[in-house]
Amino acid sequence: MPYNIAMVSDFFFPQPGGVESHIYQLSTKLIDRGHKVVVITHAYEGRTGVRYLTNGLKVYHVPFLVIYREATMPTLFSFFPIFRNIVIRERIQIVHGHGSLSSFCHEAILHARTMGLRTVFTDHSLFGFADAGSILTNKLLKFTLSDVDHVICVSHTCKENTVLRASLDPVMVSVIPNAVVAENFQPESYLPQAQDMGYMRPRPMPHRLGPDDTIVIVVISRLFYNKGTDLLIAAIPRILATHPNVRFIIAGSGPKAIDLEQMIERQMLQDKVELLGPVRHEEVRDVMVRGHIYLHPSLTEAFGTVIVEAASCGLYVVCTRVGGIPEVLPAHMTTFAKPEEDDLVLATGKAIAALRSGRVRTERFHDQVKMMYSWTDIAQRTERVYDGITGAISEQEFYGQYPSASWNATRSRSYVLIDRLKRYYGCGIWAGKLFCLCVILDYLIFLFLEVWAPRASIDIARDWPRKPFINDKNKPVENGMLSRRGTDLMDRRNGSLVIR
Amino acid sequence: MFTGTTQYLEVYLPSPTTVSFTVTTRRPRRPTATSTSTPTSKSRFKHRLRFFKSHILTLTVLRHVVRLVLVFYALLLNVAKAQHHRHHHHHQQDTTELNCAFDKYAQLALQLSLGGGLVKTLAERTEWWILVPLSLAVIYLCLRRDYVEESLLVLQGLGIQTSTSSRYFFMGATTTFIPTTQIQDIVIHEAFQGLAVRFYLAVIVEGATEVVVVFPVRQDAFVPRGSIDHIMSTI
Repeated sequence: MPYNIAMVSDFFFPQPGGVESHIYQLSTKLIDRGHKVVVITHAYEGRTGVRYLTNGLKVYHVPFLVIYREATMPTLFSFFPIFRNIVIRERIQIVHGHGSLSSFCHEAILHARTMGLRTVFTDHSLFGFADAGSILTNKLLKFTLSDVDHVICVSHTCKENTVLRASLDPVMVSVIPNAVVAENFQPESYLPQAQDMGYMRPRPMPHRLGPDDTIVIVVISRLFYNKGTDLLIAAIPRILATHPNVRFIIAGSGPKAIDLEQMIERQMLQDKVELLGPVRHEEVRDVMVRGHIYLHPSLTEAFGTVIVEAASCGLYVVCTRVGGIPEVLPAHMTTFAKPEEDDLVLATGKAIAALRSGRVRTERFHDQVKMMYSWTDIAQRTERVYDGITGAISEQEFYGQYPSASWNATRSRSYVLIDRLKRYYGCGIWAGKLFCLCVILDYLIFLFLEVWAPRASIDIARDWPRKPFINDKNKPVENGMLSRRGTDLMDRRNGSLVIR
Repeated sequence: MFTGTTQYLEVYLPSPTTVSFTVTTRRPRRPTATSTSTPTSKSRFKHRLRFFKSHILTLTVLRHVVRLVLVFYALLLNVAKAQHHRHHHHHQQDTTELNCAFDKYAQLALQLSLGGGLVKTLAERTEWWILVPLSLAVIYLCLRRDYVEESLLVLQGLGIQTSTSSRYFFMGATTTFIPTTQIQDIVIHEAFQGLAVRFYLAVIVEGATEVVVVFPVRQDAFVPRGSIDHIMSTI
């Protein structure tokens, strides 16, 4: 069954980043499968109002106050009228929020539940439990996730983290990883697979490195503390001291860039370490293919899309064993290190030796990654989550059967206010009561809005012509909307080819 | 108020190649015209509608006459007050020709108009600070137009003309004509307005830096619900 889905997040293009591209790719692939997707985000500089992206993805840039790192001010209720208007005019059935630091997403989930819609939340990051900021974020997360229908995490580590932070039933959390567009991350000497060649396709020749050939190590990351820049600064001189034929290329910017530059000047490594500064996402591939090894010294990472991209470019990956990273790539593509200086140097040494001896077949990585990660697959799995929460597939099939479990109560969340209040009340001694108050207030605002701006007075937006819906057997089914996409007029307007 | 007041769309076809769309916040003059208001059950109101139809001209004229009379009396009160004031404070001090003429005319106006004596006594009794703001308010209320009427006239092969009624009575509408040769495209798009998302019809004019929004005046003057398709199909 095709759904109308609203993706809500503070983070979307034009700002670059992992969450942003995740939302975009997922939405595009869901549209390809016959669903209707709109994105609701806040207004960026020079980008306000309603916009259409390719493939008919509609983006609402709601004018709102931005406070910190492109996240909006948490106002709890002020977003409700506009949100309600958009939801009604687009006939939204499922609200899908992204990113635990986005207040837009949390508010949208709360309001959507009040309006009687199904909600999904995707968590993209890991958080600690100890410092003040984390405690606050975790409390907020607990508030929203008390009444969410389903949660998606990008890795199993992330799932564990989220389950603990928000005290969720683990069955309610699915793991759906990120993916990469493998076509955008091809190795330099890659022959695209032709249809008719099949087994006769010429295999790329293994490129052997001699003992004196230069090995280039690439690092692409934002230079923040949590990305392990300090570790990198400590490790570089030691790696270069033991391996004379090694060069570094470092791309990215951030507060730790100064430390890095100071280290290079102090150790006089200007001829061995190249700093590129910030690079755009579409240039990342061109930087990656210049190297042989990708070094990822991050201290915390929920998924680490960049190492998948690196492997897809045919780079051998050296990374720290933290967060969700160990789940991401198979063992033959990576060398793991503990997040400490000595071990990182050791692991890099091992990786260099492995490359020189020709034990790693990096030229095969691209095809393997392409098999493992694709957005189409991600969209399919997300769709199954939607099916599960809307009841298109039975609860037993969706959640699995646990005959001996004592908590095997019904998991479909009812919209009745008293049931919702019960769920919120369990959040804490004081927080529970506070949350209940917020929910009651939200409900009253909802009732007020129903009178003030009645549903009948809101225009229904016209849908972009839908693509044929793809059913669970991956066969296109007529969408019941239109037999042909678009009209003649539209074809003439956008100059597309008319196919009869 | 972010839903706006009720609006009505009237479509008028003066000739086969011309269409006129009018969006107004006033109740429609021609009840048969296409409007987005809920259609009333016709049998019940039929005789009422007929009554309205036959008397619509008389009613309009009557309303305007009442407006004019009220404005006239408001002015007259001020004139009487001014005259009274002069008589009391300056006893034949300045007898310039202008002042004499003013006196004469004021006297004449008071004598000729209905209830001149009443006006005079009223003017003598009330204070300046009450009279002036009150009369200003009356004049403003009488002359202000309580509805907005916007229209779009499409002339086939010539161009389109948008017109917006002025905010006061007895003043002409603002019109803009865009010839066909300058129109690049006509689009319907959405925008945030207040706490809602609205559709609007815009004309992209060649050489202009901004698009021309067709029904532009007020927040609630956007095209009424559902009628934009109608307009677009006709264009």
